[in-house]
Amino acid sequence: MSTTPPALKELRDAYDDRPAAIRRRRATGAPVVGCVGADVPVELVTAAGALPVRLSGDPARDRAVADRYLGTGLDPAARSILAGLLSGEPEVDLLLISNDSAASLRLFYTVRELRRLGVEPSLPRTHLVDILHLPHRTTARYNRVRLAETKELLERWSGRRIGGNELAKAVQQHDEARRRMLALRRLRTADRPALRGEDALMAIGAGAVLTAEEHAGLLDRLMLADAGLPRHDRPRLYLTGSAHDGPEVYRAIEDAGYLIVADDHDWGDALAGPLVGEPTLDALAERYQYRDPTAARSSVRVRAAQAAATVERSRPDLLVCYVRDGDEAPAWDFPAQRRAAGVPAVILEHRRYGELGEDALPIIADALRTARPKGEAG
Amino acid sequence: MARRNKLLASSTEATRYQREWFAGLREAVAGGEPLALVNADTPQEIFRAMGIPYVVNQWWASVVAAKRRTGEYLRTLRENGYPDYSEQYSATSLASVLAEIPDPPWDGLPRPTIVLGDTTGDASRKVFDIWDEQDGIAYYPLENAAADTVPVNWWDLMPEQWEAAIGTPRLDLMVAELEGLVRFLETTTGRVFRESRFREVMTLINEQEEWNRRTRDLIARTRPVPLRVDDSISSVMVPQWHRGTVWARDAARRFHDEVAARVAAGDAACPGERLRLMWIGRGLWYDMDFYRHFEERHGAVFVWSMYLAIAADGYIRYGDDPMRALAARFAAFSDQLYRPPWSNEWYLKEARLHQVDGVVHLVGEDARSGWFITETLERAGIPVFELRVDNVDQRAYDLTAVRAAIDDWLITRVA
Repeated sequence: MSTTPPALKELRDAYDDRPAAIRRRRATGAPVVGCVGADVPVELVTAAGALPVRLSGDPARDRAVADRYLGTGLDPAARSILAGLLSGEPEVDLLLISNDSAASLRLFYTVRELRRLGVEPSLPRTHLVDILHLPHRTTARYNRVRLAETKELLERWSGRRIGGNELAKAVQQHDEARRRMLALRRLRTADRPALRGEDALMAIGAGAVLTAEEHAGLLDRLMLADAGLPRHDRPRLYLTGSAHDGPEVYRAIEDAGYLIVADDHDWGDALAGPLVGEPTLDALAERYQYRDPTAARSSVRVRAAQAAATVERSRPDLLVCYVRDGDEAPAWDFPAQRRAAGVPAVILEHRRYGELGEDALPIIADALRTARPKGEAG
Repeated sequence: MARRNKLLASSTEATRYQREWFAGLREAVAGGEPLALVNADTPQEIFRAMGIPYVVNQWWASVVAAKRRTGEYLRTLRENGYPDYSEQYSATSLASVLAEIPDPPWDGLPRPTIVLGDTTGDASRKVFDIWDEQDGIAYYPLENAAADTVPVNWWDLMPEQWEAAIGTPRLDLMVAELEGLVRFLETTTGRVFRESRFREVMTLINEQEEWNRRTRDLIARTRPVPLRVDDSISSVMVPQWHRGTVWARDAARRFHDEVAARVAAGDAACPGERLRLMWIGRGLWYDMDFYRHFEERHGAVFVWSMYLAIAADGYIRYGDDPMRALAARFAAFSDQLYRPPWSNEWYLKEARLHQVDGVVHLVGEDARSGWFITETLERAGIPVFELRVDNVDQRAYDLTAVRAAIDDWLITRVA
């Protein structure tokens, strides 16, 4: 039995109890800004002297009250975030919600209205960061205006001016963390990978509650430990579809003997790219407009191209499209992804939040068996 | 589907006009004319001004649903690898291009060359992406922006003070989107956009919707109500899809005059009217008899649906710059109907204006802020029945159970 590298353990600990990590941070008196979605410009939050923490759902959390407000047709991950906010878990000083998916936007409208009506007075002060994604200059100009508004809002809220130096430092810190997340892909996609998909998911997701510097440091240490890590030699899967803000589905797949060598959602591999580079609002606007594709906001064509590129770099035996109930966009991507991927592909629809579903492993096994040449053992 | 007598000549005329128009459209497209398939909440005015024929996506879905053929269309999507449980209203038409539908309603939807929709919703834009994959069909996506803060009383502000209601960044973006659309259409169709024609279209639309506003106000204050909601849907919506034409403006006026004549004559939709009901949500196209079912037993008549009300409050935009005024019509159109605080406060305003006693609220799987609508009305003392079905996909609809539940609600909560 191998020993888990200390860096991976620290990343896992932070990831496993993200609310506790946030509580510890607040206990020091440091301001904490809750962020919903991957389009909140965390650089501006950091530059304002606060810690940006990305809120996540939890399949085990009781969603009843949130379901009352949001309805049950919406992605349960967003409903779970609202359930957390309503129960004060985690407590944040300010909430910024991005328009990175229909569910995030609906969550914003709901929180705003609950506060306006005085129905849930404990909800934090909340603002929308409306970053849009069509690949046009008109959208870039709009995003630039919204980013300037967000910067001014954070300056008023924190009482700190975000000058060139503060922004440059924050951009550099977050880009450093992103560089390491991009480098982490190599550990997953090697011929005999050193990192399980679940570990990669946790290593990336831990950044949701760590400072960018802490995150980059831990990822550095993890990669230095790479040589001593055991190698995995198992059927390789590329997991596409809904985003996973928890490890349950990865764990269920990998505990059954498979290895997730790549994914394409923004709690995983698709969080890192691209870097911001220049410490300007224009560069920030471009980074968030053109960040790595996800099912929620990218076109079918772009998702298909992404699938082809991901297959090329990760060499999976099977593409698995996981479609969570209430998050239907990935199901529309799948036929084009399958055509583009050039490897066997299966779709798992109507999945419950945080669950793989009893039928999934036989579907995966069948697809792999069918794909293998006759006589080769599965 | 039971046949219902048409109460209004304007409704009969609208249906006749629509059939004639569609037949002509099919002929024109067969002759090589371009055809656009456009979402209901998109700026059709540009197409009107440029003389590019278009079909409204949701209108076509409602035709298919009214013929109870939606299930077949959704099966076709499934057979082609796409979900049959997602965006059914917007996706129905897509089946037409993926496979031959036998004996389709109205001889079928001609193949479009251009599709137009905005990027609202993660799945709905994908439906248009699939259109875009088809040979000879181009998709022009419109960006869909949102605001951090909004004034509540949009219905007061929109006609003249739309800049204050929507905000400059969203309007700047939508103007840019529309300028891009004009250039796209000029390039792909060879048609010309003339500002003078565009101004004419915008003027006709404001006139048309002003007639709708008068009609709405007349219905709201008249007891017993001169017509029920399903009497008026064709009289409102067919001209709405033809807005920007003289026919549509005059049809709205004829509809108003007909309603005014009924009011003057004391004609009632339900002479024994005891309860006035409001229908919130898209039309229940596969069960239109629903809207009359409760009249005999309870004297309960549906006096309100969004179709006339949004025509009255949601479209009128005045201003010297017609492109910015058009942007103001659509930059926040869905917000008016679906996003709090605009949606819930508007429904309450309308409920009070129409003196309703109860509300049947269609809450589909994609319920958009439905809780706030129900809560706002209930808080104001107006009972709400939440009907949890899809408006075109009737596979989970239990007619008997639904009607029994509403019977019970009328007796226990409304009467």
